[in-house]
Amino acid sequence: MQSHAIPGARFVDPKVLARVGNLELLARNVVEGFINGLHRAPFFGASIDFAEHRGYVAGDDIRRVDWRLYARTDRYYVKQYEADTNTNVSVLLDVSRSMKFFSRGIAKLDYACFVGACLAYLAQRQRDRVGLITFDNDIVSHVPPSAKHFNVVLQNMDRAKAERAGNLAIPLHKMAEHFRRRGILVLLSDFYEEPDTILEAIKPLSFLGNDLIVFHVLDPAELDFGYEDASSFEDLETGEQIPVVPESLVKEYRAMIQAHIAALTTRFSEHRIDYTVLNTAEPLDRALFSYLSSRERLMRVR
Amino acid sequence: MAFLTPLFFVGLAAIAIPVLVHLVQREKKRVVEFPSLMFVRRIPYQSVRRRRIRHWALLLLRAAAIALIVAAFARPFFRQGAVAAAVGGGAREVVILLDRSASMGYGDHWARAQDAARTVVRGLGPDDRATLVLFARNAEENMRATADRTRLEAAIGAAKVGSGATRYGPALKLADSILSRSPIKRREAILISDFQRSGWSGSEEVRFPDTTTVSTVSVASTGVANLSVPSVTFARASFSGQERITVTAGLSNKGDSPASNVPVTLTIDGHEIQTERVTVAPHASGSVSFTQFTLTGANVRGAIRAGTDPLPADNNFHFVLAPSQPVSLVVVDNGDRGDSSLFLAKALGIGSTPAFQVDVTSASRLTPASFDKRAVVVFNNTSFPPAGGGNGLKRYLENGGGLLVVTGDHTTWPQGEAQLLPGRLGATVDRTSGRSGSLGYLDYSHPVFEVFKAPRSGDFSAAHVFRYRTLQTEPTDRILARFDDGAIAAAERKVGAGRAIVWTSTLDDSWTDIAVKPVFLPLVHQLVRYLAHYEPTTSWFTVGQVLDLTARAKGRADRGDRIVITPAGERLTHAGSGEGNEGLIELEEQGIYEVRPAGTPAARPEAIAVNLDPAESDLTAIDPRELVAAVTGHATPVEVQQQAPPQEMTREESERRQALWWYLLLGGLLLLAAETVISNRLSKTERFL
Repeated sequence: MQSHAIPGARFVDPKVLARVGNLELLARNVVEGFINGLHRAPFFGASIDFAEHRGYVAGDDIRRVDWRLYARTDRYYVKQYEADTNTNVSVLLDVSRSMKFFSRGIAKLDYACFVGACLAYLAQRQRDRVGLITFDNDIVSHVPPSAKHFNVVLQNMDRAKAERAGNLAIPLHKMAEHFRRRGILVLLSDFYEEPDTILEAIKPLSFLGNDLIVFHVLDPAELDFGYEDASSFEDLETGEQIPVVPESLVKEYRAMIQAHIAALTTRFSEHRIDYTVLNTAEPLDRALFSYLSSRERLMRVR
Repeated sequence: MAFLTPLFFVGLAAIAIPVLVHLVQREKKRVVEFPSLMFVRRIPYQSVRRRRIRHWALLLLRAAAIALIVAAFARPFFRQGAVAAAVGGGAREVVILLDRSASMGYGDHWARAQDAARTVVRGLGPDDRATLVLFARNAEENMRATADRTRLEAAIGAAKVGSGATRYGPALKLADSILSRSPIKRREAILISDFQRSGWSGSEEVRFPDTTTVSTVSVASTGVANLSVPSVTFARASFSGQERITVTAGLSNKGDSPASNVPVTLTIDGHEIQTERVTVAPHASGSVSFTQFTLTGANVRGAIRAGTDPLPADNNFHFVLAPSQPVSLVVVDNGDRGDSSLFLAKALGIGSTPAFQVDVTSASRLTPASFDKRAVVVFNNTSFPPAGGGNGLKRYLENGGGLLVVTGDHTTWPQGEAQLLPGRLGATVDRTSGRSGSLGYLDYSHPVFEVFKAPRSGDFSAAHVFRYRTLQTEPTDRILARFDDGAIAAAERKVGAGRAIVWTSTLDDSWTDIAVKPVFLPLVHQLVRYLAHYEPTTSWFTVGQVLDLTARAKGRADRGDRIVITPAGERLTHAGSGEGNEGLIELEEQGIYEVRPAGTPAARPEAIAVNLDPAESDLTAIDPRELVAAVTGHATPVEVQQQAPPQEMTREESERRQALWWYLLLGGLLLLAAETVISNRLSKTERFL
């Protein structure tokens, strides 16, 4: 086994970063921060992006007066520039028991950790503050966003264990009360609840103007239900067992899960929330690259 | 008919198992964990039906399979040889595979191997035929299929230990090919070797048919003692214009006992320079460094000799030394800034393999003579120098020169010389606003970037590119690198025997910061090495390598026929035309080969040192049964052939009389396979839990 100096460093995969390392995780909304960064701030500042002219008022720095405009209009105007800032990036990681499921290769929780860690790495590299909240039916661990917390985030991801049943509403409600400053929230879950319930739980997170990015992490077995033998199926969340003949219900199951994903896609897009389904059979670098590059393409500026 | 192990019939009681299974079969109880049954819960399911005995055919199939397998384990055999004779009696086709690799020179291994081969020959029947195959790295049919024992024994006696490495694959493939062509039904391959583990990788894809018997004779010894010199390294230093060399010899003790106080001697051009004593622990390595000596000229022959042991061949190591040749290049810049070629010159000032001899000059001072004896010319962000016009640069390139054009705002290229540049230079692209550019694609198959292919071997994406010149290439040009927006970063064009590469940004800190990135130095070195056609000098070769004399003679005046004198003193003549296999020589012997142009007996010959494959020193043996099992598909017991008297029934004969168990086992397995198919089909047609 490979050993790392920092527990959880295995989640920051150089192969993935090699693919997505050139991309940036930019806030779609205007966010507030303390230092210069890559995101649009709500204030005017000292970047090189010209924003608008404003009439000169006493106290303005005369170096900002646009003398050419003065020559044309005989009035004093000052030039204003966009301010860029950094932001908080919080990874909200579902560690309910269903996340420990895997049918081949990698568990959903590990896959989610990889995604979260890579995005946190990107954020940290662009001087954003990174934090982590793990939750199941309540908040399990909380790492407040900070520029120095990247290692702590990785350590917490390493320690995360899917042990208890999940419930989105309670922990997300607590989080919504907790977030005071606009930032980027990355939510990773398998969303085993009704679309309306999920949206009701998530909506408060975006009320403050947070940029919400939702990743729906699913195992290939959950998508195609590729079982053959008749068996008793046990619900990882509740422990309930149901005898199942996969052949007889595979078509209906696939239709239901696709309808569930379609419903989530519609609802989230209505609320301008980025929603991406991640199949754990898909190479992580491809999934992240396609998401980040499409986000970069579709980025709207203020 | 009788049974060797009738006790196995107790196993027939196992027939009761399928009966019980059929009688008490219950529903499958297997629990599958699933993240959430949220969707499954909504779908109605079919309930369980218990089953009783209904599939009599399946039950009988299972019982029959068990009975056959039990009978197979009881090992039935025929007391009379009639059946066996009917299966494979009569004449035999035998292939004797005799290992003549260097490791067979250990102690009395070779003598024992020859004796074993002679015993096999003497055991041949009057109608039997045998082929002698001598093998090391390759296999050769030394004596074609013959029943003449005298000729076979003479061939065995004439065979000698070679210097090649052991490879069992080619020999076994040749044996298979010989046997498969034979009209005789009884076929046998006998492998006589020391069974070095290094000779068998397991992936040789050799498979003998079931009708062929493979037997082995091992001459391996236990408790071997073997010290070898697997490699030598040279540290070069310049002193008063002369090159001084420090030789360090690596020593490897593959034996089970320590090699104590072994004298290790360095010999240069036949003179003993120094002897050091060293102790190497068992299965460990060590090294000896000798004092520096001054290299007086080319073709200096050296040798390391490390003690004596039962395998003397690997105690000697030969090498040939030549003075290192620096790569000479001229960097041409615009001359307007004193430090415009600073980064290039500094980067090329570092390096010893090869060393670079760099001259920096301005375009206006460049003369046509400046190209002479230069391996590479670098136009570093400069206008086209007048000295390059008038076919001067073209001639230089066609004669094998290298040209690196580093573009910048000063770079110009006249229309008349367009065929020398890989593409047409265009406008400058400015990436200073917004995100700067970076290198997005590198052609790792190209020699320049090949060294960066492995992970963590150079991060080009860390370099920021703020400006570059566009380049429009021809389809025949090779694109080596692109920026992240797809624009060409580097392209190559072959001009005659020369190479021209254009780098569309600068190699300083004006248009890009690549000059301060860790990849800069290896990149510049790789570019110059490639453009200079640099080939590192080889001080020795390994037995089995093929030498291209034609390629070595390139660039020399004497390109005619070559006389090659092998270490054993054999004279070979090779035509200098280089057509077909002419000019190619396989280095089969350990020692010094001498090559000189034909008709110049007084000329000092070029020396080529050849050493044993270091793997030959490792005498660890593979279990012959493992090898037999790999090539036959079943673990055949190994017997030493020479111990069986030829008139008595051989082990193979005895095996053939017991061969019925194979068929019984096969029948049992086939029935089980049929049972699997049928039960799978039945289980699909029935929904049960």
